[in-house]
Amino acid sequence: MTWTQIGWSIIALAAVLLAGFSLLFRRRYQYLVRKNPAVKRLQDQRVIAVERGVGRQVVLGEGLWTHAYPGLGLHALSMLPGMVSPEDSVEGGQVISTGSGALVLFARQIVQGCYQDGFSPGLQERVLPVSLPGPTPLSFSAGLLPDLSTQPPGSLAMFGSFGLSAPLWAEAAQIKGGHVFAAAGSITAQAALFLNVRDLLIGEEVFMLPGLMEPTASNQAGWLTEDILRVSLMALLIVAAILKMAGLL
Amino acid sequence: MKKIIPIIIACGTGLTVLAGYFFQDRLAPVLGLLIHWGISLVGLAGLIGIAYLVRMHFFRIARRQKGAFYSVIVLIAFFFTFITGLILTPHNAIYRDWVLNIQVPVEASLLAILSVTLLYASLYLIRTRGWTPMSVGFLVGALVSLILNLAVLQFQPGSMGAVWALFLRRLPLAGLRGILIGMALGGLIVGLRVFLAIDRPYEGE
Repeated sequence: MTWTQIGWSIIALAAVLLAGFSLLFRRRYQYLVRKNPAVKRLQDQRVIAVERGVGRQVVLGEGLWTHAYPGLGLHALSMLPGMVSPEDSVEGGQVISTGSGALVLFARQIVQGCYQDGFSPGLQERVLPVSLPGPTPLSFSAGLLPDLSTQPPGSLAMFGSFGLSAPLWAEAAQIKGGHVFAAAGSITAQAALFLNVRDLLIGEEVFMLPGLMEPTASNQAGWLTEDILRVSLMALLIVAAILKMAGLL
Repeated sequence: MKKIIPIIIACGTGLTVLAGYFFQDRLAPVLGLLIHWGISLVGLAGLIGIAYLVRMHFFRIARRQKGAFYSVIVLIAFFFTFITGLILTPHNAIYRDWVLNIQVPVEASLLAILSVTLLYASLYLIRTRGWTPMSVGFLVGALVSLILNLAVLQFQPGSMGAVWALFLRRLPLAGLRGILIGMALGGLIVGLRVFLAIDRPYEGE
């Protein structure tokens, strides 16, 4: 068996497990949701920001697709339904920012989709603003930083694919007393954000976030599938290491 | 029907691209065509994004919001660069020099600010995160990595010190791979959820 075939077997197994668990959880079973204090703080801070009448900034990253981290853009979009509610539209203090045209289009579609069953046509018209401060990583930072200074957010949530400039956004929000939460980004961004962001999710924790925010059946199915794959992969790596040390591999 | 068509298109495209990896000889032309379509659509989305950006700055000026002056500068620079680029084309040496001589110093100054921010944040790491195993480990790891990369410590090849130095140099690589494997599994599940139409961002769900 070649490494490519092993890879495809993992993908096929993941697809079967995901489809199976989605059906199972949609009927009645549930997978227990783990608690994460960082996510709880994000939710609390967003509520506090609404009560204080200050803004909430959601950053969906600088691109929909990158070669090194292909799933991060989609992950940011999957987070979005959990971050928009009719209250956000009425209150009007939330801004969604991205650094890519494709992300803007998808984000707008998701936001409008969330409000299509709204309470009134008037509410549907007041859809949350999705802005594009800049279409490249540098221009995105250059456009976002003044926004964070002129309209300091009470809560800044960063998702998706972003690079080393993310600590600057975090610092700009924190210096004005805003709470910062970050998930995802490149490895270098995660290392840099570790220094100045307390509520930071790294590695596979990032992909569990939609389930922590909104434990739907599909999110729970994704969680369980990811858990099974991760434990299997860990067991395989340990067995392979033992076999290698014993000289059998 | 309105919901089924996008699902069929998304799943059909995904299946074709996946099948293209298995049957490269037969599906190479179809795969190339799909990728070209994808690139064109992403390019179009980029144009729409730029239109959003321009509209946002126009609104800011029209409503005389805070920072409207910067929006004026952005729009003047944007239209000047855009029109000059259309006339001279990006291959023109003067145009390229003009753009790069603005872009490179701005990027460099942003990186300089970033390095100061990171230095400042690293000094206050314990205050931000407290004395946790993660923060102490991060600090010790960064310190050891700095010392090893300074090449101040030299070890005889084959000595115990050299073996330890090699082990310590490999530790970050092991951690990096662990994080990347976790992220790859997460990315796989996200992709499969779209592929199996469990998540449908193209429908706003």
